[in-house]
Amino acid sequence: MYYFKIIKDKFLISLPIILLYFFSFYHFQIPEVGKINFFSFNFQMILIYFYVLKFPENLGYGNIFVAGIINDTVLGISLGTTSLSYLSLSLVTSYVRNATLRSRMTSEWFAFIPALFFSNLVFLIIINNFSNVSFYYLELLQNTFFTFLFFPIFYYIFSQYQKIIFKKKDNAQF
Amino acid sequence: MADHRDDFIIAIRYALLKKGAKQKFSLFFLIVLSISIITLDKFELSFMSPVRAVLNDFVYRVSVVASQPEKIKKNVEKKITNHYNVMKENKFLIDEIEYLKRQKFNNAYLSSENQLLKTALEFSENKNFEQNFSIVAKVILDQESPYLKSVLINKGTNHGIEKGMTVFSKDYLMGTVIETNYLSSRVLLLTDLNSRLPIVIEDSTINGILGGLGNKSNLNIAYLPDNYELEANKIIFTSGKDGFIVPGIPVAETYLNKKNKILIRLLADPNQALVVNVTNGQINN
Repeated sequence: MYYFKIIKDKFLISLPIILLYFFSFYHFQIPEVGKINFFSFNFQMILIYFYVLKFPENLGYGNIFVAGIINDTVLGISLGTTSLSYLSLSLVTSYVRNATLRSRMTSEWFAFIPALFFSNLVFLIIINNFSNVSFYYLELLQNTFFTFLFFPIFYYIFSQYQKIIFKKKDNAQF
Repeated sequence: MADHRDDFIIAIRYALLKKGAKQKFSLFFLIVLSISIITLDKFELSFMSPVRAVLNDFVYRVSVVASQPEKIKKNVEKKITNHYNVMKENKFLIDEIEYLKRQKFNNAYLSSENQLLKTALEFSENKNFEQNFSIVAKVILDQESPYLKSVLINKGTNHGIEKGMTVFSKDYLMGTVIETNYLSSRVLLLTDLNSRLPIVIEDSTINGILGGLGNKSNLNIAYLPDNYELEANKIIFTSGKDGFIVPGIPVAETYLNKKNKILIRLLADPNQALVVNVTNGQINN
């Protein structure tokens, strides 16, 4: 029973990492509604932004780096592209965390804009200069927009998850 | 102004270099590592290919495993949809069977009535020809010969095949048996120069003799009336005038070629025939 509890706790703590790896290995496809795929968003970016901002001890930079490498392999683009993009996002997020005195959801949501912009900029620069892959810029813009739009939903879900699972431990942070 | 800039630099430096409580690597180190990997991948150094190959194999296999839930979900959805489709189809087929049963009885009645009327007119089909022999044969040799357009089939006199029997490929007349052996026979194709077949053209009473020119897309009709012009998209049937082959078997069709010239092509494709049907569909004298 004791071991089961330890495994359960480990699993719950590691869930963000598991999700990050899972969605790097598996790119889910949600059917399009009409001409626009409203559900095309980058879950990994939301996850990285939230956890680096709020619970950096639960999501290491090393894992972000490896997840990026896996993502590159699955997508078939130059190795390290997504890693650098994710790490750029982490850098901006880390800066926002250090620069912010009082955290509020709205301010963090709007701080997600420059983070996304910087991350995608790095991604596009590498894609354009280091590979021959053609890209659908409109789709990337759409994806980025919905990533930004869905952030509050996941913010709420992740916050609730952290509250429920690590209530005692994380009370101080909320 | 300078204070703001200093604050920014300090925050960036802190973000880049501070590892944090449980961080094993600093952001700076990982960013440098990423840039190095991108550079190595870009210049395609020799040791990068095996590394990438191993990584690809590993990641693809794990990706396959990771996508299993989605595949299972799709399979379940497909099976449910199929189940409902089968149910729907079953209902439709039951209705169709009922309808066909009714039609069958109706047809049987019409057939017997037709037979009675034919007997009354002394024009029974059974009196003129019979086609009670049919055997499936395999084309064993289809050699391109400049002399004779023919094929060899794997059935001969041992199987009841006789000279003059008609050979069909996919319900279309392809040729006639000209040579029989014990276990094989030779079929003269309608495309052969030596082939002659009395025909009648669709929607007309024009008779002629269909002969081959060595090509299935270009046949020839001899003995057509003077000043008669062929029309495109007309089916050519056997006329049975030779008293040998049953009338009314579709043989060829007329068509307009790219140069707007009306040509005749065979309905059967002898080059593609692998299995043929040999029948005695000739008039019984």
